[in-house]
Amino acid sequence: MSDLAIGLLSFPALLGLIFLRVPIGLAMFLAGFAGLVLVSGDAGLPLARLKSETFTTFSSYSLSIIPMFLLMGQFASLGGMSQALFNAAAAWLGHRRGGVAMAAVGACAGFGAICGSSLATAATMGRVALPELRRHGYSGGFSTATLAAGGTLGILIPPSVVLVIYAILTEQNIAKLFLAAVIPGVLAALGYMLAISLYVRLNPGTVAARPPLPLAARFAALGAVWPVLLVFALVVGGIYRGWFTPTEGAAVGALGTAVIAWANGGLTLTSLTQSFMVTARSTAMIFFIVLGAAFYNGFLALTQVPQEVAAYVAGLGLGPLVILLVILLFYLLLGCLMDSLSMILLTIPIFWPVVQGLDFGFVSMADLHAARAAEALTQGLALAPDVLAGIKGALAEGGELTRDQLRALEIRGASPGALARINGEQVAIWFGILVLIVVEVGLITPPVGMNLFIINTMDRETPISDTYRAVVYFVLSDLLRVALLVAFPLITLVFIPI
Amino acid sequence: MHGFFLTLSRAMAWLGGLVLLALILLTCVSVTGRALSGLSPGIGPVRGDFELIEAGIAFCIFAFLPLCQITGGHATVEIFTTRWSGAANRWRQMLTDVTFAAVLIVIAIQLAAGMESKLRSGQTTFLLEFPLWWAYGASLAGACVAAMVATYIAMLRLAELALRRPLLPATTDPEA
Amino acid sequence: AQEVTLKLHQFLPAQANVPKDILDVWADNIERDSGGRIAIARYPSMQLGGAPTELMDQAIDGVADVIWTAVGYTPGRFPSTEVFELPFLVSDASAASYAFWNLYESDMQEEFRDVRILATWVHGPGVIHASDPVLAPADMEGMKIRGASRQVNALLETLGATPVGMPVPAIPEALSKGVIDGTTIPWEVTESLKISELVEYHTEFTGPMLYTLTFVLAMNKEAYQALPDDLKQVVDDNSGLDFSVFAGRVQQDADAPARQIALDAGNEVVTLDAAQSAEWARMAQPVYDDWLADMQGRGIDGQALIDKARALMDEFSAAH
Ligand code: NA
Ligand code: NA
Repeated sequence: MSDLAIGLLSFPALLGLIFLRVPIGLAMFLAGFAGLVLVSGDAGLPLARLKSETFTTFSSYSLSIIPMFLLMGQFASLGGMSQALFNAAAAWLGHRRGGVAMAAVGACAGFGAICGSSLATAATMGRVALPELRRHGYSGGFSTATLAAGGTLGILIPPSVVLVIYAILTEQNIAKLFLAAVIPGVLAALGYMLAISLYVRLNPGTVAARPPLPLAARFAALGAVWPVLLVFALVVGGIYRGWFTPTEGAAVGALGTAVIAWANGGLTLTSLTQSFMVTARSTAMIFFIVLGAAFYNGFLALTQVPQEVAAYVAGLGLGPLVILLVILLFYLLLGCLMDSLSMILLTIPIFWPVVQGLDFGFVSMADLHAARAAEALTQGLALAPDVLAGIKGALAEGGELTRDQLRALEIRGASPGALARINGEQVAIWFGILVLIVVEVGLITPPVGMNLFIINTMDRETPISDTYRAVVYFVLSDLLRVALLVAFPLITLVFIPI
Repeated sequence: MHGFFLTLSRAMAWLGGLVLLALILLTCVSVTGRALSGLSPGIGPVRGDFELIEAGIAFCIFAFLPLCQITGGHATVEIFTTRWSGAANRWRQMLTDVTFAAVLIVIAIQLAAGMESKLRSGQTTFLLEFPLWWAYGASLAGACVAAMVATYIAMLRLAELALRRPLLPATTDPEA
Repeated sequence: AQEVTLKLHQFLPAQANVPKDILDVWADNIERDSGGRIAIARYPSMQLGGAPTELMDQAIDGVADVIWTAVGYTPGRFPSTEVFELPFLVSDASAASYAFWNLYESDMQEEFRDVRILATWVHGPGVIHASDPVLAPADMEGMKIRGASRQVNALLETLGATPVGMPVPAIPEALSKGVIDGTTIPWEVTESLKISELVEYHTEFTGPMLYTLTFVLAMNKEAYQALPDDLKQVVDDNSGLDFSVFAGRVQQDADAPARQIALDAGNEVVTLDAAQSAEWARMAQPVYDDWLADMQGRGIDGQALIDKARALMDEFSAAH
């Protein structure tokens, strides 16, 4: 059997193991190990790799951001942020039809701004909001579905563990990916609120509204959540402005939320221990999957599968949009069965070489010149009036600048190579956000949706089938958003400088 | 017996959490130092912060593994196995956990071999020039506990198979 | 027909200068000279897994059969090779690569005993690329500079700069964000990193280089031993002194096009004259003292290595 055949056959073998309920990280590890044995003839190669690969995988500076973000989420919850967010959202939305559910989604969005994980967001907000939803007469299935969907905002709104992994796998800038996720993340929250209002109209009798609060009370509730905004602005803004690396940003955020928790009296030895335990468990779970994926992907590279797949797809002569849609559809299907992180780690090494070659032509040379010229013109350069007029004229017509005009503006790096690099980056960011959304849909699609499970275990009276039925509204809202973002890339890329 | 391994796992997780907290503080000190480096020549980022984080975070992850192991925290996909009989699921669980134990034992042994090779070669880090085998050694402690805990779980699963009744809770609270 | 496949693993993308113009040449020659009996499977960009710092161990343990790595990735392991990384010692990459191979054969085999060395070389002159002009050593004071090696970092500290450690791919981001004010790398690397778009000033030296880095092409010992004698001969014929000198020359020659890009972009390339360069070299003396003391602690006669390296480089330059 050729190496390529072994590599291709490892996929069904791996999926078989996963469906036999072998832990996903272990399954990838075993598939990688067995594959390396088959390809190299004995166990010497995989054993030799293990001498350093566990250590080098775990001792990663960029991945150290993950336990820091997880701990940050724990501290935020200790500091009463989850309750404060829910109170604030309820003060503004609680009087509407379905308002308490909308408030739960709003609070999830707020918590997502300081928590990097969907499961943690779902679990934390579930504890706060589930009793409230039930108390206000929402049905069990709708309450659990709302919080399961709201939990995905933990990943969709930056900071986000999945985006960090994507950035590392594709060597993209984490800060730009975080920035690009902001508008789609807000759209997600709005979309979920729309889904709620649709649900309460189609299923009357589930909602009891209460009178609106006076404005003063609303602003008072909002005043309690300013630390969340502060930490979010400091972390995401600081990373983006280059004050610190993403890992440093995570550390600053973790310390910031720790201080808030301490100031609010939430940080005790008991609660600190509890935070450590939860962080430890999730971190170990994530990193074992990362290790398994590293091992499996190393084996795949040896069999040349990623290169062959990329060459095969390129040879099909399909348009870039068709390729993109096929990949997104594949994620949606796989997402019914697998969790988001495993999907990213397993598939990006295969899909990335394909996507990297796609050109959507987002930025033209004229765009690039216009952007650079706008920047340069604010510098107050002393330009001859006729030169300035020529430049402004060219820009107004949407044309490219001449070499002399570029010189006059002291613009460097507006070469075709730079343009190709910028377009490549834009595709990478756009694709990353789209993938982020479709893999997160997997967290709430039956039968296997981690968020559905987490919330459902908190409400023993509600059968999971009720949750499955109610979550359809939220899944539809997700699909609508994906379509929107595919049709209008600018929604994602508007803030990304070229 | 279970109490002993659970306490051991929690103690390791606690230690890892403490180191994580220390790394967070170290990073914040370094960021502050860099921001203020213009004020005085003595102020600056922490020398070698990058490599301290790399060494420290590896220890954290290895120290976190035992707790994940003993509380069944690894991500799985449950769809086809839910309709299996109790006996079939006990067999499946036993095979999975015995394999997991074997893998973690192999990982610990190979990590020890890696440490030995770093000790012999004398490789150091880039800036602080501390021997790399120290970092390997710290990680090895966590890897050994993880292997021990996994072996204990595997033995419980064999006992479950013999006794035909569950000894470990079927699912654990995700927030435990 | 094909008998053996050797896995060649390294950290740069396939289209970078070294893989394209040096490693591929080596691999193609071996495939040709073996009549197709040896195939070299090339794995760029760490495709076989692990970090670049692990490449040497991957060759020792047989994870890869052949690896190319910077010796500086494994600090403390091959201390003698650092002689070529001392500031202002090397003037020409070919001469230094010639000296490196000869010194490897005479003095460094013990340090590399776990692996079979196929070639040894250094890159072209290390250049300072910075957002502010750098002329005198005092200009470096207070600057945050990404250093390339232990010796460069030591020199930067001596000059009052703050050495910042980061992997090469992180440099463009750090420069554009002002996390660092400059970086030391040879011209050849600036092209793929687009350094000339990010800084305006480049400082070169006349005479000996600010610094260079040492590289080795290394092979797993068992993989070499397993080859039949005639194939061993093919590997030997394509490796060693001549190939090392070729590699050093090619890597240094790749500097010129990248330098031209900076000039075309309108950047200022300052070449310090001999007197100015000598001033810098004088400032580097503490680095030499520390290194000699460090070597003495390891039982190595550092001064002897320096003298031999200089004599070998002179010998090469006299002959060419
Ligand atoms: Na988030
Ligand atoms: Na799903």
